[in-house]
Amino acid sequence: MRSWRDLDRTLGRQGRKNDLLLLLCCFGSVLLITAYVTIMRSPTVLTVLPEGGDSRKQVMMIFILAVIGCGAFTTYASGLYFRAKSRQTGILMALGASRFQLRRMLYRDVGRITLIACAAGALLGTPLAWGLWQLFRLLVVDSEQMRLTLDPQAYLFALAFSLFVIVMVFLMARRFLRRANIIDIVNEARRSEPIREVKGWYGWAGLLLMAVGGFLGYMAPGFFVTQLHWYPPEGLTAIFYAPLFVGLYMVLLHTVVNGWRRGRSRYHNLIPNSMMKFQGRQTVRNMLVITVLLAGAYFASFYAPMLGTGNALSMEERPVDYAYHYRADQDIPQEGEVRALAEDCGVTITSWAEAPMARLAVDGMEHVETEGTLGTTWEAVYQERQRSELFLSESAWNTLAGDHLDLAPGTVSGIFDRNGNGNGVFTDQITLVTNVVTGETLSVTPAEGQKHDMLFGRFILDDGDYAAITQGLPEIWREEMIFFNVENCEDTYYFAKALFHEIVDRSGEEVEVYDAWDPVVRQRDLEEEGYYFLDPDQLERFGFTTIDYDQRDSSEFRNYWAYMPQFRVLDQNDFIRTMAVFLMLFLFIAIICFAAVLVIAYTRSLTVALTGRQMYEDLGRLGASKRYLRKTVRSQIRRVFFTPSLVGTAAIYALYAMIMYFNGDPLGWTPDEFAGMGACLLVVAAGSGVLYGFYRFTRRKVYAMLGI
Amino acid sequence: MLYVENLKKSYMVGGQPVEVLKGVSLQLAQGEFVAVMGPSGSGKTTLLNGISCYIAADSGQITLGGEKLADLGEEALAKVRNEKLGFVFQDFMLLDGLTVRDNILLPRIIAGGVDDEGERYADQLCEAFGIGHIKGKFPAEISGGEKQRCAVARALMNHPLLILADEPTGNLDSKSSRTVIETFLQARRELGATIFMVTHDSFAASFCDRVVLLKDGTVSNQLSRGGDSRGAFQDRLLGAIREMSGGDGDAVLA
Repeated sequence: MRSWRDLDRTLGRQGRKNDLLLLLCCFGSVLLITAYVTIMRSPTVLTVLPEGGDSRKQVMMIFILAVIGCGAFTTYASGLYFRAKSRQTGILMALGASRFQLRRMLYRDVGRITLIACAAGALLGTPLAWGLWQLFRLLVVDSEQMRLTLDPQAYLFALAFSLFVIVMVFLMARRFLRRANIIDIVNEARRSEPIREVKGWYGWAGLLLMAVGGFLGYMAPGFFVTQLHWYPPEGLTAIFYAPLFVGLYMVLLHTVVNGWRRGRSRYHNLIPNSMMKFQGRQTVRNMLVITVLLAGAYFASFYAPMLGTGNALSMEERPVDYAYHYRADQDIPQEGEVRALAEDCGVTITSWAEAPMARLAVDGMEHVETEGTLGTTWEAVYQERQRSELFLSESAWNTLAGDHLDLAPGTVSGIFDRNGNGNGVFTDQITLVTNVVTGETLSVTPAEGQKHDMLFGRFILDDGDYAAITQGLPEIWREEMIFFNVENCEDTYYFAKALFHEIVDRSGEEVEVYDAWDPVVRQRDLEEEGYYFLDPDQLERFGFTTIDYDQRDSSEFRNYWAYMPQFRVLDQNDFIRTMAVFLMLFLFIAIICFAAVLVIAYTRSLTVALTGRQMYEDLGRLGASKRYLRKTVRSQIRRVFFTPSLVGTAAIYALYAMIMYFNGDPLGWTPDEFAGMGACLLVVAAGSGVLYGFYRFTRRKVYAMLGI
Repeated sequence: MLYVENLKKSYMVGGQPVEVLKGVSLQLAQGEFVAVMGPSGSGKTTLLNGISCYIAADSGQITLGGEKLADLGEEALAKVRNEKLGFVFQDFMLLDGLTVRDNILLPRIIAGGVDDEGERYADQLCEAFGIGHIKGKFPAEISGGEKQRCAVARALMNHPLLILADEPTGNLDSKSSRTVIETFLQARRELGATIFMVTHDSFAASFCDRVVLLKDGTVSNQLSRGGDSRGAFQDRLLGAIREMSGGDGDAVLA
C-alpha cells in the first residue's frame, strides 16, 4: 500500500459491512416510501378516495407518519454509520490527515452509498407496489376497479424523499467532520449516551398527556367548526395532537430509564437496564418511530374488519331482503315484472309491500361561508327552503314497516337506523315543510323518532298532512319505495343481479346522480352561483367521480348512486368486490408500515447486541453462564419489540375506540361498532403474533452473532 | 525545540467552567526524553492534547521548531501533526484493517504517498524494533507490546521533531512496558528522536532525562536524572511524588 488511494480502497473493503448497513437502511426506507406513494398517488386509488374525504386524509396521515418514521430511521442509521467510522477517521486526523482529504473520502463513500440506495429503492418501489397489488388481485379480490394505473408524479414524492435522505446523510457527514476535537471523534464509538434524570412521574404524566392529546386532537376540528364557526387550516388542528406525541416520548423515556416495576429488586435486571439507559437517546427515538409506525399499521389494518363487520352485521339484520326505490317518472320494473323475473330465476317472493314517498323542501339553518384572512368562517342563516327531504305518510310507513303509527297532525317523525343513530336526521330543527311546486307550506313540530335501516333518513307525516302538502306535486318530486322478501334469500344472487341490472338499464340519465344531489339546493345554487356542484357536468371540477351506469359495479356507483337498490344477497356477495380498492389500499398500507416496523426493530436489536458485544464478552469472563447472557440479551431485545408494540397498539386501539364513541349521534358504541372492535382485536392478535414470531427470529440471530 | 508558555485551558463541566491547565510553562531540547507525571485530573493529557494540536488552548503559546502553533490554520496544523509530530497512544490506535507495515506507512501515505525509500525505512524500523517478523500481520493477530512497538515505529515514520506519547505502557504488562521504553530509548539514541511522554508509571518515567510533575494544572516540580542510575532516579522521583501529594506517594501512582 503506497498511496492515499490504496489506503482508501483497503479501508473501503474493511468497512463494507458498515456501508452495507447504511445502504440497506436507506434502500429500505426509500423503497417503502416509493411503494407507498406509488399506490397513494395511483389514479386507481385516487378515483375511489373522494378529495377532502376522511379516507384520503387517513391515507395521507399515515403517509406522513411513515415519512417521519423512515426519515428518523435513516437519520439513526447514518448516525450508526458515522459512529462506526469515528475511530478510523479520528486516527487518520490525529496522524495529520487534513479535513479536505477526509471529506473527499467520506463524501465519496456516502455519495456512492446513498445514490445506489436511493436509486435502487426508487426504482424497485414501484415494482414492489405493483407486485403486491397484483398479489392482492390474484389471492384476495379482483374487480374492474382494481386494475392498477400509475401516476408518474408519484416519482416526484419518491425523488423528494430520496433527496432528503441524501442531503441528510451529507449534512451528518459534514457535522461529523466539522467537530473540532479529534479526541471526541476518536472516542465517539465508545461514548455512551447519558440521559438526563427522568422523574418518576414521567410515566403517568406521559399517559395522561397521550390521552389528553388524543382527545383534543380529535375534538378540536369539531370544536372550531361548531363553536367558533371557523374552518381552521388542517395543520392547525393537527397541532392539538402534539401532547399525544410528547406524552408518548415521556412514556418511552420513563420505560427506558426508570422502568415501571418499582417494587422489584434493582439488581434483577441491572445489566440490561443500565445498557438501555446509556443508549437512551437512540433507544427512545427508535421506540418512538416503531410505536408511531405500528400505530399507523394498525390504524390502516382496522379499516377492513371495522367496515366488513359493521356491514355484515347491518346486512344480516336488515328487516327486508330486497328494497328499491325510484323516481315516479321512471320506467322501473313493477310487481308483475319482478315476480315474472323471479319465476324465471326460480325465486319465490314471499311478501311484497310498496308505498309512495314525496320530496319536499324543509327549513333549516344554512351555513354561509366567508373567506377571510384567518381562513373560512361561517354563520348560520335561516332559510325556509334550506334543503329537501323524502317524506312518507304514516300509512306508507305502516305498510312498509308493519307498524301501527298514528301521528298527530302537524307533527313530523324522523327515521333513525336500528341503533338509534341519526346522521343528519334533525327533526327538532324542522319547523316548516314546503311543496316547492305549489308553494304550499306546513308548520310542524317534532314527534318521537322511528327506527328502520331501510328507511333511514326519511321523515313521516300524518296522513292528512301528507295528502295536503303533496297535492299538485308532479312525478319528478315523488318516489316509490318497494320492499319484498324471498325464500332462501342467500340462493337468489343471480335474480338480485338481474333485477339490479334491469333497474339500472331502465333508469334515465336525469337520475344518474349522487345520493346527495338535492333539487332544492340545486335550484338555489343555480340562482346564486350559476352552477350546482353535484350536477354531472360539474363533478370533475370538484374532484368527484361521475356516477355512471356503465360503471355500475364500481364502489362509487354502489355506494353513492341516489337510487341504488338494497338487495341483501347482492350487497353481501359483492361487498368485498365493491370495496376492493379501499380494502386493499389499507391492507397495502398496513403491510408497508408493518414491514418498516420489522426492519427498524431488527436493525435496532442487532445494534443493541453489537454495541454490547464487549460487555457480553467481559460478563462471560466474569463467569456469567450462557443462560444468564441469553437472558440479558433477551431482556434488551424484548424492550425494543414489546414496549413500542404495547404502547402503539394500546394507544391506537384506545384512539379508535374513542373515535367510534364520538362518531355517532347519540354518543356511544353501537352493536356494529362493538363487533368491529372485536374483529380489530383479532387483527391485533394476528399482528402481535407476527411480531412475536419475528422477535424470536431476531433473538436467535443475535444469539448467533454474539456466539452465546 | 518545544516551548510551552503559560498555557491555560478550561472545560465546561455541568455548566461550570473548570480550569484544567492554569498557566503551564515548560520546554524541551532536541533529543531530550521527558516524562510528565501527576495525579488524575492534574492536566497531563490536556497538556499533551494541546501540544498535539488536538484541542485549542484558551491562552498561552506553544512553539514547535520555531513555529507558533496558535497562528496556524486548520490545514497547516494537520501538516504539523503529520510531519513534525509523532503519536503513541495508550490503546495503540492502529487501524484494524491494515497490516503492521501498512500502519507504519500511514503517516507517509497521508503526507502524499510512499516511495521506495519510504518502504525501506518502514522495513528498517520494523527490524530495529523487533517486529520485522510480524509486519504482514494485522493488529488483531499480535500482542499488546508488539502493537505499541508498531505504534512507535509509525510515530517515527515521518522523522518528526517530537514524539508525543500518552500513557504508552498503560495497557501493557511489565515485560512489554520495558520493551516499549527501550524502543523509545533506541529511537532517541539511533534516530535522535525527542520524546514527550505522559505516564503514571514511575518505572517508565525513571528512564527519562527529566520528569515534569503536574499538580492541579500547574507545574509542581521538575526533576532531572543527571548522573543518577535509573534505580536512584526512580527513588528520587517517588520521594518527590510523595512530597507533592502530602506524604502518600502510592496514592498518586495508583
